[in-house]
Amino acid sequence: MVFRIRLALSLLLLCQFISAQNDSINNLKEVYVSDKNLKKYSSTQSVLKLNDSVITKNEALLTDLLNFNSTLYFKEYGRGMLSTVSFRGTTSSQTAVIWNGININSQMNGSTDFNTISGSDYNSISVKAGGGSVIYGSGAIGGTVHLNNDMLFFNRFENNLKLDYGSFNTIGINYKTFISNKKWSAQIGFSKNSSTNDYKYLNRYTWRGEQRWNQNGQYDIITLNANVGYKINDNHILKLYSQTSNTDRNTSLITETDTKSKYVNGFNRNLLEYDGNFGKLKTNFKTAYIFENYQYFSNISSKNYTYGKTENLITKLDLDYALFKSTQINGIVDYSRTNGYGSGFGSHIREISSASLLVKQDIGSNWKNEFGIRKEFTDNYKSPLLFNFGSSYKFSDLYNLKVNISRNFRIPTYNDLYWETGGNPDLKPESSYQAEIGNVFTFRNITWTQNFYYIKINDMLQWVPGPSGLWSPQNQDKVNSYGTETIVNWKKSYGKNTFALNATYAYTISEDDQTKKQIFFVPFHKATGAVSYSRNKINAYYQVLYNGFVYTTADNNSDDVVKDFTISDIGIDYDFKFLDSSKLGFQVLNVFNKNYESLENRPMPGRNFNMYITLKF
Amino acid sequence: MKFSKLLLIALSISLFVSCSSDDDDTSKGAYDNGFFILNEGSQSLGTISFSSNDLNSFTKNVYEKENGTDAVGGYLQNIFFSGDRAYIIAGGSNVINVVNRYTFKLIAKIDSGLVAPRYGVVKDGKAYVINAGEYSYQNPATGDTDDYIAVINLSNNTVESKVALNSTANRVIEENGKLYITDAYNDKLLIYNIASKALETPVTIGFDGDSIEEEDGVLFILRRPYGGAGEIVKVKISDKSISRIALPASIGQAGFMDIEDDKVYYTASNSVYSFSTNATTAPTTALFASDASYVYGFAVKDNHIYIADAKFTADSKAFIYNLSGVLQKELTTGAGSNGFYFND
Repeated sequence: MVFRIRLALSLLLLCQFISAQNDSINNLKEVYVSDKNLKKYSSTQSVLKLNDSVITKNEALLTDLLNFNSTLYFKEYGRGMLSTVSFRGTTSSQTAVIWNGININSQMNGSTDFNTISGSDYNSISVKAGGGSVIYGSGAIGGTVHLNNDMLFFNRFENNLKLDYGSFNTIGINYKTFISNKKWSAQIGFSKNSSTNDYKYLNRYTWRGEQRWNQNGQYDIITLNANVGYKINDNHILKLYSQTSNTDRNTSLITETDTKSKYVNGFNRNLLEYDGNFGKLKTNFKTAYIFENYQYFSNISSKNYTYGKTENLITKLDLDYALFKSTQINGIVDYSRTNGYGSGFGSHIREISSASLLVKQDIGSNWKNEFGIRKEFTDNYKSPLLFNFGSSYKFSDLYNLKVNISRNFRIPTYNDLYWETGGNPDLKPESSYQAEIGNVFTFRNITWTQNFYYIKINDMLQWVPGPSGLWSPQNQDKVNSYGTETIVNWKKSYGKNTFALNATYAYTISEDDQTKKQIFFVPFHKATGAVSYSRNKINAYYQVLYNGFVYTTADNNSDDVVKDFTISDIGIDYDFKFLDSSKLGFQVLNVFNKNYESLENRPMPGRNFNMYITLKF
Repeated sequence: MKFSKLLLIALSISLFVSCSSDDDDTSKGAYDNGFFILNEGSQSLGTISFSSNDLNSFTKNVYEKENGTDAVGGYLQNIFFSGDRAYIIAGGSNVINVVNRYTFKLIAKIDSGLVAPRYGVVKDGKAYVINAGEYSYQNPATGDTDDYIAVINLSNNTVESKVALNSTANRVIEENGKLYITDAYNDKLLIYNIASKALETPVTIGFDGDSIEEEDGVLFILRRPYGGAGEIVKVKISDKSISRIALPASIGQAGFMDIEDDKVYYTASNSVYSFSTNATTAPTTALFASDASYVYGFAVKDNHIYIADAKFTADSKAFIYNLSGVLQKELTTGAGSNGFYFND
């Protein structure tokens, strides 16, 4: 199945992020996207696409990229440390991370740590707001983050090398090679990001009067990628995606006397995909093997650790039938088998099958409807019937209205079900209803997206102490989240000068149904802004992030908050036009030297620097 | 201004000053004549609250109020006193904060030689602090045998020696120069003789031994097995003989125990029970049922019963009752309230 991406069209329909520079992706004739349902079934929701040039402007790890360029809120346990997300006021396990169409949230804790992912390992990163469980399964409640490696079939041999060096011995090495012809397409990449991360805490001293600094915060993340596609002919394509990563990270101390601990985690993901085109009927068959593991050393001076591992086998068949010219139907069946074992939860096998039906209807070129339904079958929990319905109507070139309602869920994790002792095998999944209205205004060079949403989440899983003092997860709370998101993009060229502006703002109310209090670690306000200017070989930018205060306890006590902060980065790069492209760049991060925390008592660094060279040959 | 007026002002000032210095003689600081509530918090940060004995004045976060951004540490476990000083044990951060018990100003930190410190007592200028070391889930080989007593010289706040216990250990009391140590994860009462610096033969009391108190030469130990009936074990110090008082299974999970005015008070589920120290059987009916949903700290002092109702992602509550169970005061404390320490 082939998608021809036309830049202009996709900008119009998907309110994609406009970059100051067009990278190679945008110039193509044909892109074989790895997750075709993302494109096909997202016309009634908001998708923010971040491409190469935006990825390069930000620090290597995904937290920084998404923090500065989307409405997502992150809770970071210090720079480079564990980083969890909250999307539309939901929990960290209610945002699903999707790698080339496959849900990769941890089977053990349900979430993804965004500081273990290096943005440059992907061709594009998309943030899709709103429910997506019908297509992406568990955790797609607040939204989904998509990491995609798309394939190109044309004659090329290209190498990209990016070297970073910054404050606190932060070193980034990123190499990618693209080798392709009309039959074969291969991308092989390697990335390594490390830092001693020993930054000083601004204006903080120990009781002895010594300057405090980030102790035991070192990290080292290595990822290998290999993606190969083979076009048997125009109608039959085989693709293999493979990725291996290891994150070796200490955990930064809050108090100098804390026991130094360390967390090592890694994954290996392999996905084999076949696309067949039989005229009206198209097939997509995926089989994936995903391995993840962690080792936690509660004391780095000891060799002892606790651990957990899961092996997950997924097979998925997606049949796409063009019923009429305007109407397409997808029937999807999948089967997933997870084998998990760990020091905390023993050994358990979990099997889940599901069947779903998706319908897409285009009435003329301005009215699009989507409908989907999914049911899971498993012995582990009672699964709700999931659905979504969406409609997008383009009233004029100026205004596009989108409406979407869906039912989504998040299944209990291995820790929730099997933790020894306390795990509760009788848990239900968390489930949610969601309704949203999206408005996209396009006027000359400005795209303005204004979303309004309401999410009702039932059966929230929470670990609570029982009558005998034993902690155990229960389905207890109900949460209502509602708010609005604003995404503005503007781009204009005056002769050789190109200006671009991108801004986002999220207003989020997420409250406990019973107490009517704001869920802790959900900010009411978050805003980002980026301005860039380019002329000939020079490209300069400024980006800013405002993060409103968050409560740190459920009772919304005004003493227990993480204060709001505003931080800014500036950067400039110059292309020497040596080889195909050779940029030398310089960045100042937290340029105003703000003393801020993402979590209480975990100070973030003050002003710091990064320089990089990017070579294309 | 007339001289007489000046004189009047001078007189009234001197009166005022002498009055306030009189006050200083009776009150040694803002936190005299009251009690601290320890809130264990997270692994990295806990808090301490204070209430006056008349329950009229309350400070939610005393340590932060007096010491600014200095981190007191996490999993606050215990406070013990010596002279003008209070020692706050932060088990999650391997540190003991030494503060003035009346002003709560930080004096020093004992920050080396401690591994997961738990409870401490003072005898003759030295503190004896139980260290849990590593736990068996962290270190299967030595987790159950690496606990020790840190002997701390309080004149220079350093750990001067360690006594290996070759066991797990948790709570400790001192009586006549001996330390009596309990822990839920072993079945022994450990005994350490401070003068001879030697461990004596332990007394087998059964697993799940926790709260320990001494009264008239007898040790009272509350055993609180998970999901099973509790028991109060009495050990006569003179001959180490044991007698047992079974708690009815019907009263639920046993919690904490304290002794006041020849009465043993203890909690089971969220209720408070009591019997005389010379009783041989336990009652089946409660003194009263508390308002707490998760009893995590308990004390009885001067006709009041103190109960901590712990929450961990929100503020906890402290309920103060009279001996017949009438609520006198409800206080909003910090996360994970686990104990009451009386400062007078």
